[in-house]
Amino acid sequence: MDFIVEGFFKALELLINGDGSTWSAVLATLKVSVWSLLISTVTGLPCGFMIGYFDFKGKKQLRTVLDTLLALPTVFIGLVVYAFISRQGPLGEFGLLFTLSGIVIGLTILAFPVVTAITASTVEGIDPDLKLTLISLGAGKRHILTTCLWEVRYGILTAIVNAYGRVSTEVGIAMMIGGNIKYHTRTITTAIALETNKGMFADGIALGLVLITIAFIVNLSLSFLRKQ
Amino acid sequence: MTHTNPAYHLKNIRHYYGSQKVLDIDDLNIKTGSITGLIGSNGSGKSTLLKMLAFALKPAKGQIFYKGREESGFSPTVRLKVTLLTQNPYLLKRSVFENIIYGLKIRKDTNHLEARVKTVLSTVGLDYGSFAHRRWHQLSGGEAQRVALAARLILKPEVLLLDEPIASVDTKSAGLIRKASLKARDDWGTTLVIASHDLQWLYSITENQISIFNGKIFPGGIETIITGPFEKTGDKAFVKKHANGQPLILKAPGPNEENAVIRKKDILIEPSGHDLTKGINRLSGHVAAMHLEKETHHIVATVLVHDLSFVLKLTPDQAGSFGLYPGKNITLGFYPGDVEWF
Repeated sequence: MDFIVEGFFKALELLINGDGSTWSAVLATLKVSVWSLLISTVTGLPCGFMIGYFDFKGKKQLRTVLDTLLALPTVFIGLVVYAFISRQGPLGEFGLLFTLSGIVIGLTILAFPVVTAITASTVEGIDPDLKLTLISLGAGKRHILTTCLWEVRYGILTAIVNAYGRVSTEVGIAMMIGGNIKYHTRTITTAIALETNKGMFADGIALGLVLITIAFIVNLSLSFLRKQ
Repeated sequence: MTHTNPAYHLKNIRHYYGSQKVLDIDDLNIKTGSITGLIGSNGSGKSTLLKMLAFALKPAKGQIFYKGREESGFSPTVRLKVTLLTQNPYLLKRSVFENIIYGLKIRKDTNHLEARVKTVLSTVGLDYGSFAHRRWHQLSGGEAQRVALAARLILKPEVLLLDEPIASVDTKSAGLIRKASLKARDDWGTTLVIASHDLQWLYSITENQISIFNGKIFPGGIETIITGPFEKTGDKAFVKKHANGQPLILKAPGPNEENAVIRKKDILIEPSGHDLTKGINRLSGHVAAMHLEKETHHIVATVLVHDLSFVLKLTPDQAGSFGLYPGKNITLGFYPGDVEWF
């Protein structure tokens, strides 16, 4: 028990003193998670909205595929992306292996189904009276679409926060694609895994604290937005 | 005020949900500037009809004319003239102020918004200072209903359609909704069509009533409907066994006709100068409700004969001479040949 308490205080010291390797992992995590979240939101949100809003042939089957992708193992994503961006792979010439950009690709694949599926479910749950109300107030197709999107904004925020939770705590993809290179592709989670293996609990706890703080700030922002 | 064209003319309207026919209207006119009541049980087709009148639902077959012009494409121009308040109005997840001005913003009519919201909130009995900046979830059921009505009234619509506007509100809100709706008609000549189960309230506000049963319209207002099962007796008559065993003899229906209607004018009360003993269905029941028609001052009485409701219409003099009051036992009758089938 003592080593945990000791580790906690050492962790605070590392963070306050601006330990280079610790803060490098924090920055790498923020970079890959923000970029992957941005790309998956920009692409997944319209897809999820269309899947939830419109009725079309094959919708049920598409939802089943999407729901299955929610449980996609991260190591499998890592394997597939690795195969594509490694030197022999079809995208090998871009030199993405062991780079933050490579990790972003993998994390985007991980986050896209989360954003899409939760957005689609939220949109499907729109009160049927909303559309009729908007029509009765004179709204045309464009206004109906934008107002519906605004009405489900909290559901969409939940989708984004969920996706953020997945990408910021992911280990498999970051490890396989990034290679856990210190000061380069080492993220909080891969660093925690490494430091724990080495018995460096303080470093692990420090990074864990940062991860929890980031999650707390994200949820606090969500809560603030809900009140607006 | 005279109008050459009615607000609505519906011709040969048929509409289906799946294979079930939910509207079957041969001909219906609604006068411009009138206040029309829509009476019918749940699932009778009232809401479907109101959605069509709001140009929010296209009929499977038939034509809708608005002020003499056929509206087949439900153009944006006509949709901006008509507004519908649904039974459970949806308030946008915004402030009361934002909810009320939503329709105006759609119309790009954003002058003097604060003053207009103040006026319309006061029309529905809500104070601007206390309510304008409340969030949608900070309102009671009655307040939400009145805010939703205010969002329609601010548009000064040519037609205001109200679907069960007082179904979940208290007496005070019901009174305010009545007053605000009447003001719209008086100030801007708005045509009102109101569906409600509260007949007392509906008769107090509407000038004419239409009843609807299984999608079929009865322009004369509420009528006596007799539904099956029926038993065939001989070639020319059908029998409906009453709950107390008493048979009702009805003339035989035509092909594909399932329900019978007895018009108010064909139901007789004893003593009425008619011989209610020969060849007539003679029934005893009690007066369950009486409503005064606002325009004609006629009295519409509902007489309960076990589980069947018979509806009759009397002049004030007739009602006086029979000494009718709710609860009074009376005998009524109708001729089997006066029954219409549909």
